Amino acid sequence: MNISRMKGKVRAWFSKPANVILLVFLILLTVLTLYPLITMLLETVTVHLGREARLAKLPVGSKTLFHFARLFATSENKYSWITFYQPLLNTLAVSVSASAIAILFGGTVAFLVTRTNLKYKKFVSAVFTFPYIMPSWTLALFWETFFKNVMIGPKTSNGIMASVFGIYMPEWFVYGGFPIALVLGLHYAPFAYILIGGILRNMDANLEEAATILKTSRMRIIRKITLPIVRPAMLSTFLLVFASSMSAYSVPVFLGSPVRYYVLSTTMKSLMDSYKGQAYIVVAVMILFGVGILLLNQAVTNSRKQFTTVTGKSGQISKINLGKANRPIALLLVLILLLVAVVPLITFALESVIIKAGDYSLSNMTLDFWIGKDTTQWLDQGDSTGILLNPKVWSALGNSLGLAVTCSVVAGTCGILVGYGVSKRRGSKLASWVNNLSFFPYLMPSLAFGAIYLAMASGIPWLGGFLLMALAGSIKYLPFASRSGVNAMLQLSAEIEEAALITGVPWWKRMIRVIFPIQKSSFLSGYLLPMVSCMRELSLFVLIVPTSNWLLTTMLMQYSEKGWAQFGNAINLLIIIVVLIVNFTVNKLTGASIDKGVGG
Amino acid sequence: MRKLLSLLLALCLMLCAVSAFADVAADVEAGSAMSHDELLAKAKEETGKFVVAGNTSRIADAAEAFAALYGIETESNNMKDQEIYEKLESTTIDMVMIQDGANLLDYIDAGKLYNFVPAAVKDAIPENDQQPALIHQFINKLFIYNNKGDSVPAIKNVWEVTDPAMKGNVIFKNPTTEKVNMNFLVMLTSDAWAEKLAEAYKAWKGEDIELGEYKNAGYKWIAEFLANVTFIKSDTTIAEEVSQDTAAGKIGLFVLSKLRSSSVLTDNLTVAQYDATANGYTVEPFAGFMYPMYVMVPAAAKRPYTAMLFIEYLMSEEGFKPWGKNIGAYSSNPSIAPKEGDLGLDIWKANLVIEDPNYILDHIDVEDFITLYCQ
Repeated sequence: MNISRMKGKVRAWFSKPANVILLVFLILLTVLTLYPLITMLLETVTVHLGREARLAKLPVGSKTLFHFARLFATSENKYSWITFYQPLLNTLAVSVSASAIAILFGGTVAFLVTRTNLKYKKFVSAVFTFPYIMPSWTLALFWETFFKNVMIGPKTSNGIMASVFGIYMPEWFVYGGFPIALVLGLHYAPFAYILIGGILRNMDANLEEAATILKTSRMRIIRKITLPIVRPAMLSTFLLVFASSMSAYSVPVFLGSPVRYYVLSTTMKSLMDSYKGQAYIVVAVMILFGVGILLLNQAVTNSRKQFTTVTGKSGQISKINLGKANRPIALLLVLILLLVAVVPLITFALESVIIKAGDYSLSNMTLDFWIGKDTTQWLDQGDSTGILLNPKVWSALGNSLGLAVTCSVVAGTCGILVGYGVSKRRGSKLASWVNNLSFFPYLMPSLAFGAIYLAMASGIPWLGGFLLMALAGSIKYLPFASRSGVNAMLQLSAEIEEAALITGVPWWKRMIRVIFPIQKSSFLSGYLLPMVSCMRELSLFVLIVPTSNWLLTTMLMQYSEKGWAQFGNAINLLIIIVVLIVNFTVNKLTGASIDKGVGG
Repeated sequence: MRKLLSLLLALCLMLCAVSAFADVAADVEAGSAMSHDELLAKAKEETGKFVVAGNTSRIADAAEAFAALYGIETESNNMKDQEIYEKLESTTIDMVMIQDGANLLDYIDAGKLYNFVPAAVKDAIPENDQQPALIHQFINKLFIYNNKGDSVPAIKNVWEVTDPAMKGNVIFKNPTTEKVNMNFLVMLTSDAWAEKLAEAYKAWKGEDIELGEYKNAGYKWIAEFLANVTFIKSDTTIAEEVSQDTAAGKIGLFVLSKLRSSSVLTDNLTVAQYDATANGYTVEPFAGFMYPMYVMVPAAAKRPYTAMLFIEYLMSEEGFKPWGKNIGAYSSNPSIAPKEGDLGLDIWKANLVIEDPNYILDHIDVEDFITLYCQ
């Protein structure tokens, strides 16, 4: 093949926007994922200033395998068992359980909503996404505040369940592995609901009707027809929730520490204080899990068609008649959702207005923690004004919103571009690589992701503060946007663009005038989900935020850790309200919604 | 072209940073000899926002007062000490108030933090409290118990909290997440304290202590103490929880100054040392522990003279007010008296375990022993 022929081929290849996009993202994503990773791995073999250098008895900055030996193979004082192996086992136990709970709860509700004539469907589907919108530890905070009593844990005070209803829950219910798994499972159940519900909603009714005509029992239909169809979604959910639960930090801190139940993320955070080398090794282990999950997902989903391309072509979807069981089931569901989604909000509101803990009488209430000009009369610590009058809170709110908007714009736009590239070159190796690379950051635990960006930033002086966080956030949430982008593009047939192509419309005009308007709500969902996730994100930013007062969520974590309950609960409620408002507004204005964003 | 420019810019910034570091050392040196007016003049010359970070919430009040007094725009941040050490180089911080003397020593040796002693107080403050690092205040964590109900844990000997009957009734913040708590426990393994603990054991049980596998009485006390402890994640919460009407029989080891919160029912609490002083006995061999909070100038400070002015301010009676108006804070400046009703620094120094950074640095391995018993 001569030179001019090659030149011609290359030029032709580059003239297609899809190819250019894929190439650019391949390089960008590789650099932004691999470079921080390599920097972090270097840290695992370096000696850091402080206690670490003293322990290793080596000069600061020197290279060593000491940290590995220490973390994996130190039996004196059972160090390795306590610091690594036991937390690892706990993490696995909690993550698997949380995934199972999420699928069970979310999947069942999805089935009830999409394929039966359940009552109060509107309420259920509206409220079901709440647990995801609320920061995960707020549910943990609520759990402890609600169920604690003087028979368990520190045994010093009664929560609402004990003081108002007189019910004393046992210790294993309130602290430890069970509530951690339960809270995480509930927090991620919306994922299962959206993914599994998406499939069930679009399922061809003919599949089931054929079986019904042949007089197959309802249970058998569910077992043999419905379940196998949703199995891929169940697996995707399992893997997603597993990866997220592994990274959960605040939930185990609240519900695990009182009974000395530690997980990898809590151990990593406390190692990060004085023994950075070992902390980064734990991060590496978490990332290995993420890679493993990605490969597993690859292996399982490779052989099938994309399930989300089954669009709603079926006519009437026959709904199962629940008959007499309808009302009880519906009421039970509403009750559970109220407990999980609405009662926490009421609790936060209550806790943010009482002065002395445990006293819910009107005389013990004040709005000062919200709008008081001088709160030092109640609490001579924390901030001296109510949160709505505190400039630090407003600046943190501004930062949180600014960061969320930036991340969502960057991630969303990149997601559309990646979606365009992957769908146009679907089937090619390049598209497959970019597709996987763009999904990989999701599987890296947030805490680990923040850690590797921290490691990377310490070597680059100008990369810090807002820029670093925006970068980390954009890459971390790119998976959401790219999934919805890919799904949206795959639904479009090629002819739509080809008509414009033939008349010589440039690529950018095709995108803006033709493609974007058609799939507007799907694309915008790719913007919405990163925004909502970013607003309530903690673990990703906790290590790289300049100071704890910078973001609303890190401010909240600091307040909770210091025990400034009223301010903490008020800020918590503020975060949730802001996120709900944003979600609602974007939904009403553009039709975008979180469920479309997850790929449902 | 753009890449080259950004590389050049980065190089320039690094060069500036390096030269800035060298300047701060010289500035601190010069500042130690300056009078208040000279410092003020130099501080006013500096530009940009003045940023301080401290492990105490009340730094916000001090910073506000300072800003009002001198008309210098100040930003204060309340951060955990480990966070401050971590962010020293990546974030602009001009002055820090920081704990954990063991870590501090290493950072001073590595030239990341500089020690500044204002000329105004150099003679007043004891030598040990200003070298190698200037102590701003001492903070104490004491045995404080709930005085309601039938079985009040009015301890006169620390071995009482190791009694199996006290299991779950002792509240303490987890040492693995609170370095000063860890440091306190490490100090108990020193020969001096181990000896005192052995004597106290004899006074309590009437027989000599049997060490078994423990290296000394300190180790034994730590193991048995931690076996009885329930961890709560913040000292404020511990104060609130132990003070509840429903918390009869509980004893906590936590920061005294948390009693200033209205959410703490102080009528339900008795401070062991207060009771001891009032009734003429001693809690053997200690009634709690104490640790210093230091004030330092980071090597990367952009406004070193303002930092020095602020430190001078903090060491004065006016600057100490945000802490001095409550119990539990003791300035290292002997001319500043503690809050009325509180005991003096001399009594505390005689009855509390105080961290010795050098001992801790030489015995890091003890932390593993402690972590084991935190499981």
